Amino acid sequence: MTTIRDRLESIFRKVFDDESLDVQPSMTANDVSGWDSFSHVNLILAVESEFAIKFSTSELLRFKSIGDLLTSVEEKCPRR
Amino acid sequence: MGERVEALHRESNPHTLRDLTMRRQLIRGGQHNIGHLCTRQQCEDGLADKVALRWISPAMQRRNYSFLELEQQSNRFANVLQELGITRGEVVVSFVPRLPEQMISFLGTLKLEAVAGCLFPSFGEEALLDRLGDARASVVLAVKRSLRKLLKIRPRIPSLRYILLLDADRHESDDVLSWSRLMATASDQFQAPVTSPDTPSVLHYTSGSTGKPKGVLHVHRSILHLQSTSQEVLGLRGDEVYWCTADQGWVTGTSYGIIGPWSLGTTQVHFGGGYDASAWMSVLEQNRVETWYTAPTALRMLMREDPALFAKFDLAGLRQVFSVGEPLNPEVIQWGRTSLQREIHDTWFQTETGGILISNRPGLSIRSGSMGIPVSGIEAAILDESGAPVPDGQQGCLCVRAGWPSQFVTYLNHSEVYGEKFRNGFYYSGDKAHRDAQGYYWFSGREDDVINTAGHLVSPFEVESALLEVQEVAESGVVAAPDPLLFEKVVAFVCLHPGVAMTKELELKIRLHVSNRISTIATPQEVIVVDRIPKNRSGKIMRRVLRAHYRGDALGDISTLEEES
Repeated sequence: MTTIRDRLESIFRKVFDDESLDVQPSMTANDVSGWDSFSHVNLILAVESEFAIKFSTSELLRFKSIGDLLTSVEEKCPRR
Repeated sequence: MGERVEALHRESNPHTLRDLTMRRQLIRGGQHNIGHLCTRQQCEDGLADKVALRWISPAMQRRNYSFLELEQQSNRFANVLQELGITRGEVVVSFVPRLPEQMISFLGTLKLEAVAGCLFPSFGEEALLDRLGDARASVVLAVKRSLRKLLKIRPRIPSLRYILLLDADRHESDDVLSWSRLMATASDQFQAPVTSPDTPSVLHYTSGSTGKPKGVLHVHRSILHLQSTSQEVLGLRGDEVYWCTADQGWVTGTSYGIIGPWSLGTTQVHFGGGYDASAWMSVLEQNRVETWYTAPTALRMLMREDPALFAKFDLAGLRQVFSVGEPLNPEVIQWGRTSLQREIHDTWFQTETGGILISNRPGLSIRSGSMGIPVSGIEAAILDESGAPVPDGQQGCLCVRAGWPSQFVTYLNHSEVYGEKFRNGFYYSGDKAHRDAQGYYWFSGREDDVINTAGHLVSPFEVESALLEVQEVAESGVVAAPDPLLFEKVVAFVCLHPGVAMTKELELKIRLHVSNRISTIATPQEVIVVDRIPKNRSGKIMRRVLRAHYRGDALGDISTLEEES
């Protein structure tokens, strides 16, 4: 079964054009090539589209790592 | 005009002017080699043990490099290149995030009299291919995570002989090599040849509104201007701690993040992380940074932070703040006064000018929104297209008398375009501006369609070409629109193929395609669907009409608009 983390990894690979990207919760923008404020918007749009969710501005400001993003997505997605 | 500017110069920084005459001569025995002057000569002047570079990792760990280490490490890299058969004039390109190894390689490349090309690590495949191909690069410095991108385009860059990976422990193949392994066995002794001032040195790429990006080539002579402006404008004396936030893909990052300050023996801080308000303030506080050179977009991002944040940090050591890349809006200057209790000084230069030519600087009264006045030895003018002077207060072409020491020497492979930039002894910058009665210059816009977003010049042509690669897009036109954070943002007009409708998914696909093909910075911030892209009868996109459409203005003269077939 595809987990939320798997889906998130797939989004990261698409957004950052890197099929080998191995997403870890501890990773931050400094660990991913090309993760800047411009691609961050692309990332958020892609996550919102994939999971049919919306992030508030305050939530966006709290994301410091991939783990933060993962936690937020998990909270917003109904359990299956 | 001359006397008035002279008086302003005297007013601006009398101590700096005095120091200029007291300082030991930069050029000795005809040696103009930037790598030599920034390392070996500093050691010979007694600074061998002084900290040249304080590297701060994204995790805020410090590592100091002395001038001696910089000298030895850059010697090693010059030897590495020599052992690989790289010779004078060949192009060695760095395509890496900000790292000490990038700066060491830059200096080593220059010691060998090879040309140091610098690219932004955010470039996508197409942007990379255009630049590496045009430069006929022999060597590319990269990190492992960008190797896949490089290997994909490599067959189309026949000149490329080696890829050196900064973070690989072992060689990956005969020509994809580990930087650290090569460095480990290379000698730390290297004598740079006595380098003439006209020897090519640094290559940066800049975008125009038509055609592919062009390689702006500089020569070793530029160090004269970079040192003098580091003193006159930035006020560097050599005994302070200085931080330039610019990436080395940007001319600021090499001119004032490497060359100018090290030619003076200044200790530079470099931070490997991206924008983070708390981290940035910590860097300023913990390293007692005295002079800070940054960009308006970064300052505007700081403006959005909680004002209480700045009160948590002791910035008493911060003496001066400078900005470059886009016009500095008065609100930012006001914010600097209230939040940092510092004036923020604007500086103006371009990739082509190599160094600062016009600036507000300590000692000058700041006129909020103005670029300031020309630096010593620079004759700026507002001219019309025929070369006639435009009266003060009226807008014209911002021009500079040719012959300043950091002037570029050509657009690589496009000498005809280089020639077009000079008329009647003046360099036409492509910026529109006016001068006021007191001799201050005021930027008002570009003469071409280039988009200045967050200090980066983006070619609408490049973005339009990338958009046409998206299967659903039939036509595209790209323009700049004002943006409160970025100064200008990229706006894409697209005409979709029949039967295709714009959806959120398609918009995301378009954004990602541009981001990955060209650069994250080139990502359209708005995608607007139109029935057709306005073109003139020769098929040229009428971006003026698109800008008017975006603003909701009247379309103006559209007599040359093509007829609908």
